[in-house]
Amino acid sequence: MSTMLAQMNPEELRSEIIHTWEVGGDVYLELSLFGMDISVTKAVVFLWLGAFITFLIMFIGSRVLKNRPGAYQVIVEELYGFGRNSLGGLMGEEGKKWFPYTLTLFIFILTLNLIGLVPNSFPVTSSISFTLTLALLTFVLAQYQGIRSNGVGTYVAAFVPPNMPAKPIMVPFMFFIEWISELSKPLTLAMRLYANILAGHLLIFIFLSFILYAGGTNTWIGLAMPFLSVPMGLALYGFEVFVAVLQAYIFAILTQIYIELSMYKAEH
Amino acid sequence: MDDTGIFDIPNTSLIFWEVITFAILLFLLIRYVYPPIRDMINNRQSRIEEAIDEAQKTRAEAKELLDEYRRQLDEARGESRRILDESRKQAESQRARTKEEAREEGDRIIQRAREEIDRERENTIREIRGEVADMVVSASSRVINQKLDRSEHDRLIQESLDNLEESQKNGGSRAGSGVGSGNA
Repeated sequence: MSTMLAQMNPEELRSEIIHTWEVGGDVYLELSLFGMDISVTKAVVFLWLGAFITFLIMFIGSRVLKNRPGAYQVIVEELYGFGRNSLGGLMGEEGKKWFPYTLTLFIFILTLNLIGLVPNSFPVTSSISFTLTLALLTFVLAQYQGIRSNGVGTYVAAFVPPNMPAKPIMVPFMFFIEWISELSKPLTLAMRLYANILAGHLLIFIFLSFILYAGGTNTWIGLAMPFLSVPMGLALYGFEVFVAVLQAYIFAILTQIYIELSMYKAEH
Repeated sequence: MDDTGIFDIPNTSLIFWEVITFAILLFLLIRYVYPPIRDMINNRQSRIEEAIDEAQKTRAEAKELLDEYRRQLDEARGESRRILDESRKQAESQRARTKEEAREEGDRIIQRAREEIDRERENTIREIRGEVADMVVSASSRVINQKLDRSEHDRLIQESLDNLEESQKNGGSRAGSGVGSGNA
């Protein structure tokens, strides 16, 4: 036993740890559009699965509505109520109109996060392409809403604080700084979700990989290691469930805040 | 795209399908899922508010009704006390009146009886007087044994009666003498 485990070199070990992401790009159906690769990969399949389950849960929930709600209806209604009361209207009543978007975002990301916790699935939210796309969407929507609510001139002017000294130097400088800040919003938004989910999954795999590694050093350590690694892995798994909900919530609420900040930009 | 898949940017297939999938999901949820849930929640909320309003109204009404009943009860109690007092007073006065009437009636009866007795006595006296006069005439005619014709007889009787009446007016003692003188 120890002999076999001892043969696992660091390269193999690394491959075991990141196996999930290596197979994420497995192509099931090769497609391309205008030279762009749009093949159906494992990641895409799990993206669809997440969207399908999200829709199914909410759709069934909206079709079995009764005056005396059961547990399922209460969950669906609470989800909706959470979106309407906690996500929407953080800074003003007008912001409430964006809650269907952020609520959908929340449920979608939450479902994908939780699906990613099922063994042998693919955690779509641990892909930077996925999170960055959603974050850029947030950015675009925030700019759109900012211009729509304030008008182009007012909105752009609002990036520079009023009553600046040494205007010729300070105004462009502040404008530049403010735009860096504005651009960092979608970046951090994307990074936060991506890194949290990726790191959580990686930690579980790393803890489990200790079993494979320890087997190569000493038979007794190799035998003892599962009793340390598995509980640690399980604990991290439990923590990951919490992180899955938390990160979905953070992503949704920050999206709402960014949009509403743009909406009321001129008032600050 | 790197081989490990850890930092797979740009993953064009994932991005492409993500945008499409998310757009469809967004459309479906906003179009078909949120409205019924929103309506249900709003309906329930308004129903609950209505029920609360209704309950408050009903309670207010009940309280009003209770107050009304209490007032009516108090009124009825006062009324009954008043009626009782009145009837007691009435009964009292009725009794007094009845007693008075009875006494008056009794007095009247006694008075009438007294008058009756007086009348009876007068009648009796008159009858006795007539009787006595007849007896005196017959006795005296027998005594003087004198045959009188019918006209003389009536005249004598009339005379003696007149004398009797006169003597009754003047006093009983002279009656006898009148008769006696008439006979002489």
